[in-house]
Amino acid sequence: MTDTDCSMAELHAVLLARDLRNGEKAIVGTNSDVQVAACNLARASHAPTLWWVSGPGGMINCNEPVIRSTARTENIAWSEAMMDLPQMVDFIDWKLHFFDFAILGAIQIDRYGNINTVCVGPHDKPRLRGPGTVGISALTALARRFYVVMARHDRGSFPERVDFLNGPGFLDGGTSRTDRGLPEGGPKFVLSPLGVFDFEPVSKRMRVKSLNPGVALEQVHKQTGFELLVEETPPVTAMPTAEELKTLRASVDTTGVLRERRRA
Amino acid sequence: MSKLKTLSDALDGIEDGATVGLGGWIFNSQPMALVRELIRRKKRNLRLVPAPGSIAPDMLIGAGCVAETGCVFISFEQFGLAPHFRRAAETASIKIHELDGPAIAGGLRAAACDLPYGLIPDMCTDLPRVNPQTYQPVPRQPGERAMLKVPAIHLDVLLLHAQQADELGNVQYFGPVFFDVLMAQAAKKVIVSVDRIVSNETIRRDNHLTKLPSAFVHAVVEAPFGAHPTSSGGLYEADDTHLAAYVKASGSTESFATYLDTYVGGAAVHADYCKRIGNPRLPEQATR
Repeated sequence: MTDTDCSMAELHAVLLARDLRNGEKAIVGTNSDVQVAACNLARASHAPTLWWVSGPGGMINCNEPVIRSTARTENIAWSEAMMDLPQMVDFIDWKLHFFDFAILGAIQIDRYGNINTVCVGPHDKPRLRGPGTVGISALTALARRFYVVMARHDRGSFPERVDFLNGPGFLDGGTSRTDRGLPEGGPKFVLSPLGVFDFEPVSKRMRVKSLNPGVALEQVHKQTGFELLVEETPPVTAMPTAEELKTLRASVDTTGVLRERRRA
Repeated sequence: MSKLKTLSDALDGIEDGATVGLGGWIFNSQPMALVRELIRRKKRNLRLVPAPGSIAPDMLIGAGCVAETGCVFISFEQFGLAPHFRRAAETASIKIHELDGPAIAGGLRAAACDLPYGLIPDMCTDLPRVNPQTYQPVPRQPGERAMLKVPAIHLDVLLLHAQQADELGNVQYFGPVFFDVLMAQAAKKVIVSVDRIVSNETIRRDNHLTKLPSAFVHAVVEAPFGAHPTSSGGLYEADDTHLAAYVKASGSTESFATYLDTYVGGAAVHADYCKRIGNPRLPEQATR
């Protein structure tokens, strides 16, 4: 083992943190270890004024160097403010572009970055019933951009079209998102165990941005339910540096919540 | 006048088929002592409106008390999917009203303000397709945002758990209020279990913690560890071992019947339940 070995969760936190900017505003849900780590890693390195709020709990900029569920009361003592949800829903569910970004998980994501956390199969008798929508519709529709972290990468989780669309990405591609009255936005990156994916700017179709070490392009095509765009030979994902991992482990996730996960 | 009631008296008058709101958030402050009492009373055909939740809606569904439920989010997070909710959905044995955050917030707000409906942005999702009663189109003027209207969500009764209250019904929260306060404003009747009853003097000393003043509250019930196995505002954390055991017990009809017999039917009053979970003690301090 070298000092740059890391878990998949640590890799995802580092890849996300690199893309977060000073002064941006974000929202993080309840069960969101990677999201909390990404925001606090960005704050500890290049984005000290990044601002984040616990979606349900209302605690702001919790800086305890331990990763916990964001709804937990312990976070209050480490936060700058504590807001009540009935006030927060104004900017979560209605306001345009209040949040610069959200980081979300999903059961399915399709070629235009639409996401599904409701069900696989027909809604009235699903093969798999998921947890539901909560803030995902509003965050994907109203934030300036979003990121999606997929725990799996196979034809079922990357279908041509999601079985239930409860988080709008680029809808049917092209300009359909804004044509239908949604503000500019949509998914920026998708992180999966196989690599990093983004969206071609005109067609809005998903494309390969980089492949994780040891992953072949052929394998990614085989495990994706639609035709991924590929421009030239995709690079290998830029893995966390020793410095990034040191900051993550010493200042953000001191108890190793992310480290304990499966290795990258 | 005292609003302090026993668990059993507090739930008098809830009819089969009632629309019942459930407060808290996932593994935090689920009103479990009240939920277990509803199951003991064999309530049937309830229509649930749960805030994003876990074991409270799931156990009521598993115990056969539910005909319909709204679903904003029902999850067991790190323990997987909600076992009984999932099974009921996949076998189509209960009716599910699919909702998102804006629809429940807009619907509760409308009810709180006596408005017939609320307005939410049209997010271009599949929700209107599966729940056209909730997501209704509205005419759009040129240059306006695309909107939907959502009917007011009126609750016959709301079940909540908080940390402490006085006998008058002033309810204090040591942690987040989640949707509890908004739901209370939309409910005809609000029943709150608290981990302890304290004096009005104690309430006044930390009055910034009183998130539900007595005018919004119809009954308070003293139920220490009444949110167990979920957390209660810093007084105790979620009991992960118990939650994992619940998920395991939910794997078969027999093992779930045993679970209910142990923790619900066979624990006739809340004190019996506390005994079953090892008589844990609350921390001493009055507030956080």
